[in-house]
Formats: sequence, C-alpha cells, structure tokens
Amino acid sequence: MLGALVCGVLAFVLLLIVFVFREAWPSFQHNGLAWFGSGGNPDQQIEKIFTSGNLLQEPVYTFHAWPIIWGTILVTGGAVALSFVAALFVSVFVVEFAPEWIRRILEPVIRLLASVPSVIFGLLGVLILVPFIGDHVITEGNRRSVSYIVSLSGYSLMAGVLILSLMIAPLMIALFADGLRAVPRGWLEGSLGLGINRWRTFWKIGVRTARPALVAGTVLATARAIGEVVMLAMVTGGVAFAPNPADGLIFFVEPTRPLAATILQTAEELTSPPMRQTIFAMASVLLFSAVMLSLAGWAIKQPMKRYGVRA
Amino acid sequence: MQMRSRNLAILGVLVAALILAPAASAKTIFGSGSSASVPYLEALFKGYKKVDPKLKFVYTANNGNAGAKDVQDGKSQFAIQTRPPLPSDSGLSYSKLFLDGLCIAVNPQNSVSGLKVSQVKDIFLGTITEWSAFGSSLNTTIAPFGRFSTAGLYTFFQSAVLGGQTQSSNVTALDKDGEVAVAVKNNTSGIGYVGLANSGKGSGVKRLKLNGFGCDPKAIKTLKYPLSRYAWLVLPAKKPNKAATKFGDWVRTSYAAGKIIAKAGAVPAFNAKKPPKQK
Repeated sequence: MLGALVCGVLAFVLLLIVFVFREAWPSFQHNGLAWFGSGGNPDQQIEKIFTSGNLLQEPVYTFHAWPIIWGTILVTGGAVALSFVAALFVSVFVVEFAPEWIRRILEPVIRLLASVPSVIFGLLGVLILVPFIGDHVITEGNRRSVSYIVSLSGYSLMAGVLILSLMIAPLMIALFADGLRAVPRGWLEGSLGLGINRWRTFWKIGVRTARPALVAGTVLATARAIGEVVMLAMVTGGVAFAPNPADGLIFFVEPTRPLAATILQTAEELTSPPMRQTIFAMASVLLFSAVMLSLAGWAIKQPMKRYGVRA
Repeated sequence: MQMRSRNLAILGVLVAALILAPAASAKTIFGSGSSASVPYLEALFKGYKKVDPKLKFVYTANNGNAGAKDVQDGKSQFAIQTRPPLPSDSGLSYSKLFLDGLCIAVNPQNSVSGLKVSQVKDIFLGTITEWSAFGSSLNTTIAPFGRFSTAGLYTFFQSAVLGGQTQSSNVTALDKDGEVAVAVKNNTSGIGYVGLANSGKGSGVKRLKLNGFGCDPKAIKTLKYPLSRYAWLVLPAKKPNKAATKFGDWVRTSYAAGKIIAKAGAVPAFNAKKPPKQK
C-alpha cells in the first residue's frame, strides 16, 4: 500500500516535469542558449510574443530572460544571505543563551511570523517600506542619473530583499533551532568542563555539529524564496530590468522582477500559444532550480553525516 | 464505536446540507475581467439584488484580457473588458455598458493641472523625464506608474496615447488599478493612468486635464475628453447565460442602474433618463 503511494507520488512528479518541459520546448528550441542570455527588453519581447499569438500572426518566440534570471538570483541570494546570518544568531540565542521567559515569548512569535501570508508582507511593503525607500534612501541625484532607463520610486531590489528576508528567516530559525537542540548535551558539557567558555563551546561544537540542519534549513528557505510570488510582484517594481552593480549604491534601489513574479504577471496572457510556451519555459527554469537545490542540499550534507546530527 | 459512526453520519449530513442549501435557493453567475471596473460592478451587483434577490455574483478581477479568455474557455459566464474587441476575440460578443474615463493622475503636491496627450506620450515613452519641462513647481524627475501588458486598460492606453508603442522601461508597472493610485499618492513626483473610480475624491491623487478637458463625467459623456472609453460586457456569442444577459441589459438601459453608475463615479451612456412609470 505504502509502496504504491510512493510510486504514485514519484509518477506524479515525473509527469509534472515532463508536462512542463514539453510545453516549454518550442520556446527553448527557437531561442537556444540565447534564452538565458541578455539582449533587448524582455517586457517588449513578452508583448510581441503575446500579440503575435493573439492577432493571429506568425508566432514570435524571441526571448532573452537574463534580466529576469539575474533579478531572481539577486533577490533570492540577497534574502538568503541576510536571513542566514540573522537566523543563525537568533537560533543560537534562543537555544543556548535566552532566559526561559524570553524563549517562551520568542518561539511562538517566530512560528507566527513564519505563517503570515505573503500578501500581508506585500501590503506592508507597498504602504510603508516602498514609500520610505523612495523618500529617504533615494536622492534626487540618484533618480536623475538613471531617469531615462528606470524610475527609482522605492519599488526596488532592496524592498524585495528586506521583506523576503523577514519572510524566510523564521523558517530558518525554526529549523536551525531544532538542529542545535539535537546536539548531544554531553559533548557541550565536556567542553565546558575543560574550562572553555560557553560562547566558544557552543560555536565550535554546537553550531559545527548542527551543520546538516543549517544546510537543510537554508535549502528549504531558498526554495521558499525562489518560489515567492505575490509579495515580490507587489514591491520589486514590475520591470524586467537587471540591476547593475556597476551603478554603485543605486544598484540596491533599482527595480527588478524575479521569475516567479513574471510568471504571475504574464499568466493572464495564456490566451496566446507562443506566450503560453514562454511562460512554461520560465516555469521549467524554476522547476529545474528547485530540483538542483534539493540535490545540492543532499550532496552538501553527505560529508557532514559523521558529525552525528542529521536533519 | 457505534456512537462515533452515528456522530460521523450526523456531521456528514450537516456538511451536505451546508453545501446544498445555498445551491438550492440561490443561483450564482461567475464573471471576471477588468480591475478598473470593480468599484462600479460592486455597486451594480448590490443594486441588482432588488431586481433578482436570488442571484449571486462572483467576480474575479484578473484584468480584461484574461476575463475575455475565461469566457472563451467557458470558465466565466461573462467578462468586463475596457478595450474594444480584437481579432483574437473569436466566439465572443461585445456590448457597450457605460462610459468610463482613463484619468491621468498626479500627486496633489504637483502644480501641473493639465497636459496634452502628446506630452503624456513623451512621459510614458521616457522621452521627457523632468517635471520642470511642464512648468511644474517640482524640480524633480518624473516617476511614471502604469499597468502590465495584460490589462485591458494598458491596451487602451497603448493605442490611445502611445500610438501602439510599448511604454518605456522607466514606467513602474503595477498589477491593479488601485495600486497605481496608491503609488501616485505616495510619490510626490508620481504620474499614472488610473480609472475614473480610483482617482476620485478620497483617492489622494489629482486628475489632470487632457487637451483642455477634465477627466469628469460631463466631458466623458460628450466624448470630448480624449481618453473616454466604454466598459464592455463580454458574453459567449453562442448560448450566453440568460441571467448574465439580463443583468447586462439592466446595466445598459435601466434608470436605476444609471443612477448607480453615476453615483459610483462612471458615466451612464444608454440608460433611461426617467424612472419607469408605476402601473
């Protein structure tokens, strides 16, 4: 019975992958590797693809997704890096250093934060963070320097990264804390007994032993970040623009649009067959990243198993 | 054990009753489409309760082009669209419901009170990026806000203002009509194209005159305002839903609907001017 269930789930996943890639194929076939490259404005390309299908013309497939892929890498990478550091320190504090009463308050609050729907974070972003960045972080000089290319209005990479960090950090904290709690008490007590201070003991033994849990938490949070849609569609600016680090600090406040948000915003264009195939092509890139992420997480954990703690 | 199965059976009956009861007494019709028309539709759905109290509406604001596709696919019984029909709208019938205006809105702190359509085009194509070029008291760069290419409103704006060109990359594209109004309200240098209902009193934005005509019901009704447009009811060409057709006729022609449309901020186009005589 259980075997059949497992086989059913595996068959479903396989079918899903085959279906998505089959639908996406015409877009990849037409563009080749240039699909992942840069060239032209993806928003204009999307519009041409959409209208070619809807005005009964020859289908157009030309699409260069680099600004969208780069936007996804920046938003996800930024949020994961920021929340990893924060989550590590918070979880160490919660498990080892926090007094019991603080722990009793912190843990439910973290769990609550992890379950807040992303649209609420999106609303907070649109009504509070975006106007704040627009008014207090971006200067008129910044705006003028790029005004012919993009509008710096507060809808930005920074808004996306900050809110996404807030969304994925609780997930990381919960998993990191579970891993840290599972470290055998005797190992820590042994170290303390040798006269090594509490912080050093926990950092060198607790955190090192819990590394598989840290990897598992990071992989899960990254998957959540890559797939986040609604909040990012609301606060990142909705422009398929690749923020350029060469622009200096303006880079952080430039608008962008990650893959998942692009799929959401173009999903209404499924009427047009070439657009549908382009949307599936974007979906297949997301799916492929999710599979790769799981495999990478598994591979990283292998050499760590000797530490005894599993996650 | 017996007790538990009896409890389960009672629970099952209750759940079935809850599901079936509304279905037996009320009829639901599903619609989708324009997000800019939501404020009018909400008022009209409420007003239609007096005509047919048992009819329930479920409307998904997924933007005009998607709504038309839903009707083609049979997922919606009607759609509301803010652009005229296109060749791709095969199997659909379009009928005009009422008039609406696409307003150009700025932040109230901006001293500009009117623009020409060509100037709006320059802003949304990224040719002019400074408010000082239009004699504004603001010495800042323009922050244009618009919609995604999926919105019927965008399609209308593109053909009526941009001459078919794509809006510039410096336009921040947002998902819903109301989001554009909020963005302009929160940004002193903002400008955006917003439906009549979302740019009225209390929206926190200022409507601009276009080619000398205000975005108000009077100029829209006479079609003098350059961005006057009809809201269209989209139904399947074959076998349209009777309740949806009846609702469309009521919105288009009745005196009561005309009053509701005007109160909600749009402009009745074909509605009776006087209430029907009491028999």
